[in-house]
Amino acid sequence: MTVDKKTAKNVTNIIEGLGMNSNPETISILEDVGTNSKVDAIREMTSRALVRKNEHDALKVVITNKGKGINDMSTIVAMSTINELLSLSDKSEAMRVLSDTVEMHTDEEVRDNARSVKALMALS
Amino acid sequence: MANLSIPSIRERLFNTSRHEQSTQRNSSNPFAATSFKGNVLTADVFESSSKKNDNNISATEKLKASALVGSISGYGERFQNMINSVISFGNRVKENVVNGWNKMNSIEISFAPAREVMGSFYGSIKDTLNTPVNEIFFTGISAKSVSKMEDMSMARQLLSDNVAMYEAMV
Repeated sequence: MTVDKKTAKNVTNIIEGLGMNSNPETISILEDVGTNSKVDAIREMTSRALVRKNEHDALKVVITNKGKGINDMSTIVAMSTINELLSLSDKSEAMRVLSDTVEMHTDEEVRDNARSVKALMALS
Repeated sequence: MANLSIPSIRERLFNTSRHEQSTQRNSSNPFAATSFKGNVLTADVFESSSKKNDNNISATEKLKASALVGSISGYGERFQNMINSVISFGNRVKENVVNGWNKMNSIEISFAPAREVMGSFYGSIKDTLNTPVNEIFFTGISAKSVSKMEDMSMARQLLSDNVAMYEAMV
């Protein structure tokens, strides 16, 4: 079954709109609904929207949570999130979150991923 | 010996011989009695028959030629009339167009509100053309409206419903 264009466009616009909305509660909405979706495309769009916010809480969602953002099981979602992080004009907050994750996170896989992305961002 | 009797003399004087009586024409020519030997000339005996034929042909051709010339001159006149009428028609059209153009110019200059309306119309068209096509025809939820949304419970519900709809189609 294929997704009709109007529904796909609605979801895309809602996620983009919530990413632009300055209300802090939008982060939890995106995390709860978007990053937990079973659809890769929705998780990918949500992760990118959270990265574009470039806020501590939003970046934490996509960096420190196992199975979300750079730690997503889907390579496409993980790579898209990393690409969006590399595209940030101001990377300072992202680097801070990555450093904290590398140093303090309990899960080794998450720490390794954060280390790799941090290295990439340092080189870019 | 000559016959000198009175009847013979009268006959000679008034030329009433039997021969001449037989050759006399039934003509109304009053000079018939005094014509050459009493014969009336009914044809042009001083010209050859061939020359007479030539004259006849020439006359016919002359008539034809004159008729042709007349007809040609008639056509020329008709063409001239047609051309004149076309020229006058063109001049009338030109005058009307020029007058209409002048009137339009005066109306546009004097009717400022219409110009303002046209200006705003032009502006709206320009704005529409600058808008992406997918946004003109898309009647769903826009990212701009969501970015300005203040009711977060409504925003959450909106995203949940649409994500659920999306997931149902996959």
